[in-house]
Amino acid sequence: MSDYAIIGKRMPRVDSRAKVMGKAKFTADLQLPDMLVGKIKRSPYAHARIINIDISKAAALPGVMSVVTGKDTAGMKWGVFAYTRDQQFIQTQKARYIGDEVAGVAAIDEETAQKALDLIRVEYEELPPVFDPMEAMGMETELIHKDFPNNINIHVNIDTGKVDENFEQSHYIREDTFVAPEESYFQAEPYAVVARFDSDDCLEVWMPNGGPHMKSKPLSNAFKIPLHKVKVRKIAIGGAFGGRSEICPVDYICALLAKKTQRPVKIKFTREENTIATRQGHAMITTHKTGVDKEGRVLARETTCYMDGGAYSSTGPIATSVPFLSMEQAYRMGSVRYNGYRIYTNKPIRGMIRVHGRSFAAGLDTQLDMIAEYLSIDPVEMRLKNSRQQGEYTSTQSFVASCAMDETIHKAVEKSGWKEKFGKLPPFQGIGMGTNSVQTGFPMGIRGGSQAFIKFNEDGEATVLTGVVDNGQGNDNMVVQIAAEELGLLPEDIHLVSADTETTSSDPGSYSQVSTFVGGQAVQVAAKNCRAKLFEVAAKVLKVEPSTLAAKNRLIFVKDDPEKSIPIKKVVRISLLNFKSVNAEGGYWPKVDMKREWVSNPHGQMCEAFSFGTTIVEVQVNSSTGQVKVVNATAAQDVGFALNPLVLEGQFEGSIAMGGQGGMLTEYHEWKDGRCLNPTMLDYKLPLACDMPKIDSIMVESVDPKGPYGAKEAAMSIAMSAAQAYAAAVSNAVGVYMDSFPLTPDKILAAIKSKGGKKLG
Amino acid sequence: MEKIEITLTINETPYEVRVLPNDTLLEVLRDKLDLTGSKEGCDEGVCGSCTVHMDGKPVRSCLTLALEAQGTQIKTVEGLAQNGELSDLQQSFVDHGAVQCGFCTPGMLMAGDALLKDNPNPDENTIRRALSGNICRCTGYAKIVEAVAHAGKPQAHCPDCQTSKQDN
Repeated sequence: MSDYAIIGKRMPRVDSRAKVMGKAKFTADLQLPDMLVGKIKRSPYAHARIINIDISKAAALPGVMSVVTGKDTAGMKWGVFAYTRDQQFIQTQKARYIGDEVAGVAAIDEETAQKALDLIRVEYEELPPVFDPMEAMGMETELIHKDFPNNINIHVNIDTGKVDENFEQSHYIREDTFVAPEESYFQAEPYAVVARFDSDDCLEVWMPNGGPHMKSKPLSNAFKIPLHKVKVRKIAIGGAFGGRSEICPVDYICALLAKKTQRPVKIKFTREENTIATRQGHAMITTHKTGVDKEGRVLARETTCYMDGGAYSSTGPIATSVPFLSMEQAYRMGSVRYNGYRIYTNKPIRGMIRVHGRSFAAGLDTQLDMIAEYLSIDPVEMRLKNSRQQGEYTSTQSFVASCAMDETIHKAVEKSGWKEKFGKLPPFQGIGMGTNSVQTGFPMGIRGGSQAFIKFNEDGEATVLTGVVDNGQGNDNMVVQIAAEELGLLPEDIHLVSADTETTSSDPGSYSQVSTFVGGQAVQVAAKNCRAKLFEVAAKVLKVEPSTLAAKNRLIFVKDDPEKSIPIKKVVRISLLNFKSVNAEGGYWPKVDMKREWVSNPHGQMCEAFSFGTTIVEVQVNSSTGQVKVVNATAAQDVGFALNPLVLEGQFEGSIAMGGQGGMLTEYHEWKDGRCLNPTMLDYKLPLACDMPKIDSIMVESVDPKGPYGAKEAAMSIAMSAAQAYAAAVSNAVGVYMDSFPLTPDKILAAIKSKGGKKLG
Repeated sequence: MEKIEITLTINETPYEVRVLPNDTLLEVLRDKLDLTGSKEGCDEGVCGSCTVHMDGKPVRSCLTLALEAQGTQIKTVEGLAQNGELSDLQQSFVDHGAVQCGFCTPGMLMAGDALLKDNPNPDENTIRRALSGNICRCTGYAKIVEAVAHAGKPQAHCPDCQTSKQDN
């Protein structure tokens, strides 16, 4: 459909050569002269008052260069929002989960640092802990945070009105509750930080991050130094999946140790620390009540969700909203009432994760299947009757400018052979579908936009400066593709300077699936501006109007007479000799409703574009063991426009693995008295190569009017809908609508036993 | 514990290093020799990111003592490319989009390379089994499996092999 030279092509990623050679440096790979080893002392208690911390023995140990406690941080607190600033960088009064930071040390080597941790004496007074969110709301003992009655951290209430009236008019109403425990990111790379203060008292810091500018601001606040003195550097990042966006206490502690010792300090998390002391996915209890008319159209819905938020707020207001938002985007509803409660417990901190709310999303679709069965409607029809359409507004008043939800459903149905299979498969085989929608961006205030800068070098190659960060999803390549396309260069002519707060302008990072839409678009605007300057000079040389020109393959040429051309390198040199700038900037700010606020005003334009996805999976359940073999997964998403199908396929496939295969079959945490029993890769079951089904990826292109080349968020709708499809397929195979996720063999066997294995559908 | 001086042959180069008896091969590679291509992902032999070859066999360098590696030929991810030219398997990983964050990639490459030396034409199930000691959190494995299957053997039906042939 396009005549792009580079955009839309299957282009191998620019960062992959260094990665296959083992040359790409991740944070833990960094070795700086005189670098010290930092370690964190953590609370062994889930809820305890800190009476006293004696660091004298640790500080006296030869080789220990610094020991820091809450006394050094003066109780400074962090929170994403002003009203959620509840986490001290180092605790001074209370520990609120097993793993809470109480001290940090820097020493000449790991062994000494470890010994020093053991020599720090912390005197605690144990307090009654609470691990269950429902119990936490009724606790009469000490609150986890004194300003939050009933341990309720966040309450999001959305009500469109007419909900009760519409329930009264409904032909059929169901109310069902779905549950799922916590899960973890298990990024391949354990978290690590390297920090140093340079001779100008600038903080230089490296860490895996979802946005360098999201890290630099809180560090600037904490150290009370200007932003230009906080240099978050680019580094290879081994995955994020939503878990590395915020500042982490260890970022601050590492920098504080570097400041005190005036030496570089590296803190490397163990796998257990990465699980316990970064973020986890929320455990959720979700009740959906849905009323439909005779045709299956949803007239009213009431959803109540209780989320186990763990010890601190983190992204609480966002986390409490996003599961609902995905649902309200995916489906039309006559009216809806939502009450989301995020509740403090004495467990690790919960944040955003790739499939945020598996009980929420999979519960909703399971209930739709239940209603469809009652009304004798095919699940596909059920979704088509309620699916979001282009040009509509969501329940919270976001305009949907582009939407090809129905096309994703039709294409997935056709490719998967749904019509030949649904209701016709042998016993213990099943097929199921899920549909979902994900935001391309959140309202992010001052950091919602991105600015890029492009400079041409006299050899005709270009350097692109952008704050866009690559967590592994291919953002570096995305930026290079866009710049090369617009400038008429080849990808190898583009030098990328990115994700570095000293040299790049503010950018939202990869947070909220916005890198291409906002960061990529800023690069596109900058490149267009730069190209316009070159065209002006080239037009004079070629004696034509600038508007008649195009650029491709290192040449500027007349569109209607391509023989008439001039090399870009020559234009750059002519420009410089004629005192004309060959550099340009560009920016993009998404047109969102800046008054929209997660709790106080959850209405208005959420983001400029939404993705829509459908996943269908086919499974075989072993009725003796309860194990599930996934035969095939079909993933179809409206991505707006596929900038690089090779990269997008990889994102789709990874989404099936995390959202479906791991998220719905094997991944969950187990606990004893607030202690996570499976924090390592040995105990927590991640999908392996031998587990994965064949995956068919279908990219649907609605060409969003605002997205760069029409692109919007890619593959998160697959991760979400995969969770729903896995639930539906297993339910279909065993003849029981499953309501507790993930679908482990014990639950599946119990379901088979309870219902005698009657087929659904 | 006393440090012992040993010689390790890594990527055909001998290195003299002083190690503690309990130093793992991974610690020596990363901390003493700055060969940081081998990654520490779990430190308990599960994730496979630290996989290297010892006399041609894939081993977990986080579970291998440096002392055990004396007298053997060690190959790490840094030893796969020759004079800056990628091996067929490395090139295939690039062409097929088998690399996302890249943290598991060195281990995947070493596991895949050992498989292909043992069995130059493995079927898909064999590849999946051979890679099942290596955890990838990004890719869902599909493109990694394809990259191993097509390494050095461009497939007419594969658009990404075609790209590679044109480039060459």
